[in-house]
Amino acid sequence: MSSISQVYEISKREVKRLAARPIYTFCMVIAPVAAFLFFTTLMGEGLPTELPAGVVDEDNTSVTREVIRNLDAFQQTNIIEHFPDVASARKAIQQGKIYSFYYIPKGTTRDAISGKQPTVSFYTTGSYLVAGSLAYRDMKMMSELAAAGIGRETLYAKGYTEDQAMAVLQPIKMEMHAINNPLINYSVYLSNILLPGVLMLLIMQVTIYAIYVELKEETSKEWLDLAGNDIVKALIGKLLPHVVIWFIMGIFCFSILYEWWKFPLHSGIGPMLLALLMLINAALGFGIFLCGMLPSLRWALSLATLWGVLSFPISGFSFPQIAFPAPLKALSWLFPLRNYYLIYVDQALNGRPMYYSWINWAVMIAFLGLPIMVLGRLKKFLLEYHYTH
Amino acid sequence: MKWLRNSIEVFIYELKCALLDEGVVVFFVIVPLLYPVLYAYLYSNENVREVATLAIDNCNTQLSREFLRRADATGDIEIVGHCAEMEEAKELINQHQAYCIIYIPKDFEKNIVEFRQSTVELYADMGSIMYYKGVLSGCTEVSLDMNNEIKAQRLPGATEEQISTFQYPIKYEYVPLTNTQSGFATFIIPGVLMMIIQQTMILGVGMMAGEEREKNRRHEAQPHIIGKNPVEMLFGKASAIFLIYVLVATYVACIVPVLFNLAHIWHWQTLLAFMLPYVLSCTFFSIIISAFAHDRESFIIMFVFVSIPLLFASGISWPGSNVPTFWKGFSWLFPSTFGVNGFVRISEMGATLNDVQHELSALWIQIVAYGIIAYLVCKRTYGKHLWE
Repeated sequence: MSSISQVYEISKREVKRLAARPIYTFCMVIAPVAAFLFFTTLMGEGLPTELPAGVVDEDNTSVTREVIRNLDAFQQTNIIEHFPDVASARKAIQQGKIYSFYYIPKGTTRDAISGKQPTVSFYTTGSYLVAGSLAYRDMKMMSELAAAGIGRETLYAKGYTEDQAMAVLQPIKMEMHAINNPLINYSVYLSNILLPGVLMLLIMQVTIYAIYVELKEETSKEWLDLAGNDIVKALIGKLLPHVVIWFIMGIFCFSILYEWWKFPLHSGIGPMLLALLMLINAALGFGIFLCGMLPSLRWALSLATLWGVLSFPISGFSFPQIAFPAPLKALSWLFPLRNYYLIYVDQALNGRPMYYSWINWAVMIAFLGLPIMVLGRLKKFLLEYHYTH
Repeated sequence: MKWLRNSIEVFIYELKCALLDEGVVVFFVIVPLLYPVLYAYLYSNENVREVATLAIDNCNTQLSREFLRRADATGDIEIVGHCAEMEEAKELINQHQAYCIIYIPKDFEKNIVEFRQSTVELYADMGSIMYYKGVLSGCTEVSLDMNNEIKAQRLPGATEEQISTFQYPIKYEYVPLTNTQSGFATFIIPGVLMMIIQQTMILGVGMMAGEEREKNRRHEAQPHIIGKNPVEMLFGKASAIFLIYVLVATYVACIVPVLFNLAHIWHWQTLLAFMLPYVLSCTFFSIIISAFAHDRESFIIMFVFVSIPLLFASGISWPGSNVPTFWKGFSWLFPSTFGVNGFVRISEMGATLNDVQHELSALWIQIVAYGIIAYLVCKRTYGKHLWE
């Protein structure tokens, strides 16, 4: 039999196996689709809006009520309750009802008019970091505006134009440009890595399961027989259908990210499809490698689990790697998702020429070489090892 | 007291099963031991400091150099190079040598001298939002200081107080209540800890159930099941898991935060009164979920990936107030959603039991509901042994 027909026979056998067990349908289709839909619908807003906030307005004048109305009108802030004092507002934070509150003490308006420079304050919680920092941004802006508003009025009264007034109040101004994500959409950061990441985790695990289940059910000899005892052909034949299915799931993921949500795709889809294929193959390679290294399904799966879940923090898409301890920076090279993330930033997000991330492409290719190191061992396991229950 | 004797028999057997099975030990012991340490180490710097930044100083006067010098001196920014023009800076960013650019236009000082507003432009690579935050907060700090000094020069003879009143007719003060340094470890680790308790338990218990089912299929004797009714089975099984996880939870919730210097301003009575129901709810929940375990391993690949969506649905990262209703309902099925929120508020904010009433009641409702379902699961799984 020619190599191609051998591989074809094994692939056919694998497709039947995949279809026969609900676990494959669940892990290769249902689970990724559910996870994709979860993340994209969870973060549909892009940036969380209308976060519940509180107010303690002891002054309660037309001026302070105006300030509160303006604060409420900010996109990230939704004032849901007025509290009589700071203690009860703090309590509400402790109870998880609000993430922040704004405090205006008695006499603020009077003191401001008479030039006594009163102080207002705002409180936020950093335990819910995203909500807390968004609330901080709105409340700080409101405070600046309130102060500037009064300052401007004073200057207008003295005959200043608006430009002149601003030049006096704020001589130096910052203008921020968020390159290629001007709306600071959180979903762009998170979904672009979380979705392929979940796929990668499932690929590693399913690969290991699919190989070891042959051992467990004592069908590994039959499998290798079909390949004429050639482990390379055996693996290619077996995993080819997997690659096809994963690639289809990956394309579905991309259509959510880049078609449905229209996230930045400055490189065009080509390089990202290549990156996806690399990620799939790296995860497969890693799975095969673990199978060869650890002669037990449960150990291989456990390590894949540890590695797969650790991929998320260590890839540095939320907390950037520049702040990692040095040993973990070095270790992160060994995670396919880390390299995928760096390629994504260069390609889809920034549309840079591919050679800027050549090293990550190279590492992705190297993951493909991992199985080569364990082929001999793996073959030995598959032929000789008896699964111990 | 036959039921008690029977239950104890099951309890001892299950305990042995769990602790002698290397696969289960990985999830019950090794992962809970290792993962918090890894996470704490990964985020041990808490904040991103000294973001590599490029300067383009087209003004090149004393004032512009002063601005850049001060920006470099902040903890947020490190100026790693000066570029003559934008293209050069963009090339360096492409090469990952820096993540941000501070651009000072030609007329920067001239505008100030001539009483016009001057603009400094900041650019950030959006590969991570932390770069953006770093350069913006560093430069804002510098500009506020310099603005005050410029105003002081413009109002000769004015006292500092007069200048300040002019600048801020109403002053403001920011009071960060918890996690005051906006530390990343302090923010994410408590949630991860609670997740570890639930997820490792589900995986371990699922593996045990899978093992049991495999033995059944091989018609291997499982002496501890014979002659027990479902209540005794449930009681024995649940108490074995519960006991193991009281120890795990003690390490994860009490020792880890102290060891890694995360916020732990809890009252121990509160923590105890919250964690015990959490562990109990997880116990029943994992017994129910383990009904899906056909064999030892398939269970792992079906449930590991769920951890990541669950952490997001809990509201610790994406604000809970903004989780869509459908997913909120979904997340309420899992003890972790309440565990995460309760634990964060108890350990970081010093919340009392009263403050976490909502979470605590939810956990107790889960305990009752899941206890009953777990009984039904046991009845289905073990009931037939009684008739045989």
